[in-house]
Amino acid sequence: MNKFLRTLIPFDIAKGMAITGKHFCKVFFTANRRKVPFHIVSEYPEVVAKVQPRYRGRLTLLKDEQGEIKCVCCLACEKICPTQVITIEKGKKEGRKMPYPVRYDFEMERCIFCEFCVESCGFDSIILNHQFELATYNREDFSLGMEGLSQNMFEPSPVGKFSVADD
Amino acid sequence: MFKNEEMEINLGPQHPSTHGVLRVKLRLDGETITHCKPVIGYLHRGVEKICENQTFFQGQVWTDRMDYCSAVANNLGWAEANEKLFGITVPRRAQYIRTLLNEFNRLASHLIWLATHALDIGAMTVFLYAFREREDILDMNEAFCGSRLTTTAFRIGGLREDLPPGFEKMARKFLAKFPTCLEEYENLLSENRIWKKRTVGVAMLSAEDAIALGVTGPVLRAAGVPYDIRKAFPYAAYAEMDFEVPTQTAADTYARYLVRMAEMRQSARIIQQCLDGMPEGPVMAKIPKILKPEVNEVYHATEAPKGEIGYYLVGEKGSTNPYRFHVRAPGFINLQSLPKMAEGGLIADIVAAIGTLDIVLGEIDR
Repeated sequence: MNKFLRTLIPFDIAKGMAITGKHFCKVFFTANRRKVPFHIVSEYPEVVAKVQPRYRGRLTLLKDEQGEIKCVCCLACEKICPTQVITIEKGKKEGRKMPYPVRYDFEMERCIFCEFCVESCGFDSIILNHQFELATYNREDFSLGMEGLSQNMFEPSPVGKFSVADD
Repeated sequence: MFKNEEMEINLGPQHPSTHGVLRVKLRLDGETITHCKPVIGYLHRGVEKICENQTFFQGQVWTDRMDYCSAVANNLGWAEANEKLFGITVPRRAQYIRTLLNEFNRLASHLIWLATHALDIGAMTVFLYAFREREDILDMNEAFCGSRLTTTAFRIGGLREDLPPGFEKMARKFLAKFPTCLEEYENLLSENRIWKKRTVGVAMLSAEDAIALGVTGPVLRAAGVPYDIRKAFPYAAYAEMDFEVPTQTAADTYARYLVRMAEMRQSARIIQQCLDGMPEGPVMAKIPKILKPEVNEVYHATEAPKGEIGYYLVGEKGSTNPYRFHVRAPGFINLQSLPKMAEGGLIADIVAAIGTLDIVLGEIDR
């Protein structure tokens, strides 16, 4: 008899609907209210997504106090890179004892953002920054270098400028 | 007038409920499956061969990309296999942190299984709720190692960095709310008549068949075999943890659901113990910068969320690369039980059978 009643009246469905209804009401009555902790969806392009301090974004060369690139061409990052995206050409610069990179090419399309390069660097001259909007419209834009290329490694990715609607 | 012949159809490779690019050749007699053959290889990248051409240090990034839903568990197996090959002892704190992250990863993997399996069968609400909790775990991954999915979390010999400040708070906050979330899923599914109709008695796999086919993980445990590598051959800090291996005897899809839900509770228990008993100390052992093995071979198996993941490594003298690298992927071996589960059943139930195996094609095709 009990089983028959349970089959007749869908208690199980009602239980599920109660949970869904509870969550619906929670969100419905607090919609458009800021700082409600259980709103887990953020409106991404308008609200900038927060990343953690250790986030692994795009590779960036660091400069010292004089505005010079810190890299000394030890090629540790080039050797450790699992996908071989870094190519460094050694050179000299006047007034500097250590070697200076003539070219530091970084092909972002193949980069897997593992941070092995930063880990291997003994001079703290590279970091992975917090940029994650890395899509571009042209394939050439993925080839980054120190200068002269279409994309400079020190400038932000162009998509950051386009992703938010102009209006 | 009516021709009585069998019909052949293809399920996939572009089908949302095959969880990737799996193609299943089916022969149907009416709605009954008489023959079922999975066809794999659409995502083959040659991970094993690539790793043979890279150093031991670099190989880890490829283990992330095999089973991308449980990257941390794959990293752990890789790191421990290498430590076995080189004879490195990992500091105790590193072991604890590894265990902690591995269990969080098990939760993430089981949540994504619950979400997609329920979605396949027709319960969409669970999908949204399970992904809500998974998001917190991915945030913790990001806080620890900087990436959400392809974590590259561990290093040979320990960890790269200690836990970040605020991690423990995040973890405890998650643990405090997780049991209520689990209850929510169970209220939505466990008693639900539609869910029960779709899962109870569907895709049976007896313990004998499961052992004969080499099936591991929750699928084996749902058949009543209490085999868990965390208990049988403890690694990392599992020897010091107090947990149970949940089993069921029904050996159907519903039993696998119950086993995985119970496993999530046990994982939360292990995380709690890890947080409470976290020892102090260094997180990285002293290892040489360039790792060169002697001629040696190791096989190291760990319990990934999907089952036993084993790494087989052969070292070559004077070389920085492994001479041979092989992965015993749990998804690949569990998938061979699909014909056994599906044949004789209805065509609608093959979706449940694929979902309950919890396969990730990145790992199967490698």
